Amino acid sequence: MAVDYDPAIIGRVFETTDPVPVSAEAIATFCTAIGETNPIHVDAAAAQKGPWGGITAPPSFAVTFRNGQHFFQHVPRFGKQGFDAGKDVEFGAPIRPGDAITLTSHVKEVYEKTGRTGSMVFVVVRSTLTNQHGEMVAHVDHKFMSRT
Amino acid sequence: MSEVTYASVQIGDTLGPQEFYLSKDQVRAYAKATGMWVPRFTDDEAARKEGLPGMITPGNMSLAIMSKLVSDWIGASGARMIRLGTTYRQPVLPDHTLTLQGFITHKSENDRTAEMDVWVESEEGDRLVIGTATVHFPR
Repeated sequence: MAVDYDPAIIGRVFETTDPVPVSAEAIATFCTAIGETNPIHVDAAAAQKGPWGGITAPPSFAVTFRNGQHFFQHVPRFGKQGFDAGKDVEFGAPIRPGDAITLTSHVKEVYEKTGRTGSMVFVVVRSTLTNQHGEMVAHVDHKFMSRT
Repeated sequence: MSEVTYASVQIGDTLGPQEFYLSKDQVRAYAKATGMWVPRFTDDEAARKEGLPGMITPGNMSLAIMSKLVSDWIGASGARMIRLGTTYRQPVLPDHTLTLQGFITHKSENDRTAEMDVWVESEEGDRLVIGTATVHFPR
């Protein structure tokens, strides 16, 4: 099956969220949930002596930010069922308590692949996270897979 | 244990294995903490209605667990993970023991980075989530 979509969507930003505030409590709750005990993420006094001079969120906190309501309107869909096939994350500036994170999203690529279980279409959406200083915090590439 | 340094890293060096029991309550705690409180991550019966074998672990939680394997390997060395790519191959079912492991696949002298394969393995030895990570060692 040919993959049919408008190539003009590639690279076009379809959504910029409002800044999402990051609280110390949200980072602490996240650390508890994943069993993180590294002092640079959980112990303010120890973190102060660390490389960032204060608490930073674990890198994987970057994937907890949600896209806005426009997300599924602008991401092309193929087949019946969609799956979250994985994420590729590039990490920039660390996330700290008090940050405000904005997500800017675009469709990065669409490709077809034939595997053992048949034909699949992958839609990769890149969300770039930026903090209140304009620093890139992360590029999160969401890989959505549909069977056709 | 001495901290890892760029000079000491060798291709084939291992991360883990770390064995741990992932409980349903821990998955629910993650779902709650990250705004992913949806039935397939919190309730067996609701997940079965969606055709799943029972409640599953959010992909993002698997990513977080793999990220922690890399962070634990980095320790207090001052190195930093700059990239993590994951592929969710099979559902990760809680109330099972998981094994996390990996090994160094590549070193790049020019940019002082090390690349590694990492994965989450089931009790049956299936690699449920696989990934690659890049760690940078500042001078």
